[in-house]
Amino acid sequence: MKKFLTKIVLYTFFILLIGNGIAWLSLYFIGKSNLYKPQFVKNGVKEKHFDYVVLGSSTGLTTLDTKLIDEKLKTKGLNISMDDSALSSHYLMLQFFYQQQKTTDYLVLAVTPWDLANENPVLNNNDYRFLSERNTTAVREYYQTIPYEGFPVLKYATYFPLVGVSYYNTELFYPSLFTILKPEKRNRFDEKGNYSYPNLGAPIQAEATTTAMQFNNPYFKKIKDFCQKQGITLVLYQSPLYKNSVKSNAKDYFVNHSDFISVDSLFYDNLHVNSLGRTQCSEDFAVQFNTIRNANRK
Amino acid sequence: MFFNSLSFALFLPIVFLLYWVVFNKNKTTQNAVLIVASYYFYSCWDWRFLFLLVFSTLLDYFSAIMMENSMTDKKRKFWLWLTIGINLGFLGVFKYYDFFAQSFADLLHGFGFQTNPVLLKLILPVGISFYTFHGLSYVIDIYYKRITAERNFIDYSLFVSYFPLLVAGPIERATHLLPQVKIKRHFNFEKAKEGVYQIIWGLVKKVVIADSCATYANAVFDNYESMNSLSLILGAVYFAFQIYGDFSGYSDIALGTSKLFGIDLLKNFNYPYFSRDIAEFWRRWHISLSSWFRDYLYIPLGGSQGGMWMKVRNTFIIFLVSGFWHGANWTFIIWGLLNAIYFLPLLLQNKNRSNMGEIEMGWNISSVKTILNILGTFALTTIAWIFFRAKSMTEAVGYIQKMVTDFHFDSQYLSNERYNFELLFLVMIFVFVEWLNRTKVEPLSGKASWIKVTLAIMALLALGVYSDYKEFIYFQF
Repeated sequence: MKKFLTKIVLYTFFILLIGNGIAWLSLYFIGKSNLYKPQFVKNGVKEKHFDYVVLGSSTGLTTLDTKLIDEKLKTKGLNISMDDSALSSHYLMLQFFYQQQKTTDYLVLAVTPWDLANENPVLNNNDYRFLSERNTTAVREYYQTIPYEGFPVLKYATYFPLVGVSYYNTELFYPSLFTILKPEKRNRFDEKGNYSYPNLGAPIQAEATTTAMQFNNPYFKKIKDFCQKQGITLVLYQSPLYKNSVKSNAKDYFVNHSDFISVDSLFYDNLHVNSLGRTQCSEDFAVQFNTIRNANRK
Repeated sequence: MFFNSLSFALFLPIVFLLYWVVFNKNKTTQNAVLIVASYYFYSCWDWRFLFLLVFSTLLDYFSAIMMENSMTDKKRKFWLWLTIGINLGFLGVFKYYDFFAQSFADLLHGFGFQTNPVLLKLILPVGISFYTFHGLSYVIDIYYKRITAERNFIDYSLFVSYFPLLVAGPIERATHLLPQVKIKRHFNFEKAKEGVYQIIWGLVKKVVIADSCATYANAVFDNYESMNSLSLILGAVYFAFQIYGDFSGYSDIALGTSKLFGIDLLKNFNYPYFSRDIAEFWRRWHISLSSWFRDYLYIPLGGSQGGMWMKVRNTFIIFLVSGFWHGANWTFIIWGLLNAIYFLPLLLQNKNRSNMGEIEMGWNISSVKTILNILGTFALTTIAWIFFRAKSMTEAVGYIQKMVTDFHFDSQYLSNERYNFELLFLVMIFVFVEWLNRTKVEPLSGKASWIKVTLAIMALLALGVYSDYKEFIYFQF
């Protein structure tokens, strides 16, 4: 019995040691790459100051093309949106962006009514992408405080990388092997952080509805406070939704594209536009954003 | 509490230490620890169903004693049928009532009668099919006087509720398990080591093979209308490995866990995908259920004693009941029927027992024939699995129809953002490892075992699916 328990304990210790070593290396190589948005912001973006940044989830990522907007307005923009994320992750991204000594005049926050209405935000699906940056204050605090559904993997991964790297092995371990050879590789976004859906897909037919924005999400207030503190002008952006018109009584600048597109062929699905839809949205956004900038200057 | 959950990883060492260190005084204290642990384990799903488990235990325990005490055959028969009736009654209400009510309403609808059946929509108590069969085997054995009734209630309770086998088998026999729980167990280093190896290998099968395959199989089955022939074939193959990895992985963890407590459980799988014909497949797949049906249904029905017609009839009954045992859906019944049809040619030619020995391989023609037989059997079972996996008959038929008529074999991008063929390499490695170790209980023991165990653990950490958690398939039965 004693022999069995001793062997089990020693072997477990050995596995934990080796496993954590490999996991640490894995995160080290990801941290040196441009693979996901946090690493891209840290390593791939050389500029320090931007006229505006677009921050949001997949709607922010795939609707506003900063290259096109910059071409129209002669500005310097960056898209730091991350798919499958929410306001809590956006707040983390914004903090992280500033901790990298980067600044912006405008924050274009791509929101969704259901995320804004969410009173109890929890960990988002792609928050693991910050794991290689676990030693920064913002990330560490976020992993410690955000509520988890189930086992708090990222909370413990801050101290034991093995926990996080094995749980998210497809997303962290395998990509880390590629980053050893190709650290400059980005995961589905261009050098300005944009991505677009192909001109395929179609929305599923739905009844026309109207949704009122409700600002219940505590992270929205955190973002607002952060902007105020850093002197950033906040611009809310609502991307096109298929047959869903969003109404808002927001006191911030608000570009509402919820019913901007009515042609089915410009949608990729009910929540996202395709590449053609993106061009239309970006061009119109450039016009409206210019108006906001002019008004703000006065 | 699932075997591949963190709570089980905490639960098992605690019970292990309590069992071997704190309550190791005698057999009664050992059994008491295991009963408390088993009830706690079961209550983690839904504590209300504990009453059902306790009731089933009491019913079988007292019926067996009453049966043994009965002076006449009539009384014995009464107790037997009472127990069978109540046990199957519970199973029927919880598992099959809605199916029969709905099917009857559909039948009436076919004749033009409009009915609105009352459906109970009950939650199925986890493991009910397993522990009901477990208890039934006991009372039937008592009735036929193969064993004597167990008078020690603690020992009998443990026989029914022993947590490694409680929710998904193996379906134990009183003749095998009861003698083991009736004596004090002594710690055996080699047995415990074997147990740990079997648990690790079971986890590899579940978390690495089954759950990875599930990701691909789900992506194909859920969108089968837009899939091409190659994706549909691969989807069916992935499901075949999903269900094998899932269920045999569960069984390995159950057997390994039990070995840690010094108790051997019945072997449930014996490399079924290396079977050379369908009869051999059923001797290697879910062995404890197949042998249960053989001993408690096939043989009482007359088995193979009454000539060819009797044999065929009984075989069809067994497979149909087996299909129905898995779930109240026509897809399971057709799956059973299909297996019976596969079995028929072997039965008619009296070849159903021609592949009884181990698979010998060499560089000769007979080996080529063996490999072709194995591939053929695998193809047949894979087609049958499509019915098992499909949500409805329409889906199953549509899937097969598209698979054999689409004729496009190019690589396809799936909804899980992977290409259809990507997992094949992992499946092939798994098959290769199993093939090399087909005469052993698991591949980790033997020479350089610590290297193999380390590799298996590394595979668990690097290849396991954790973020998209999947329950054991057989828990729903």
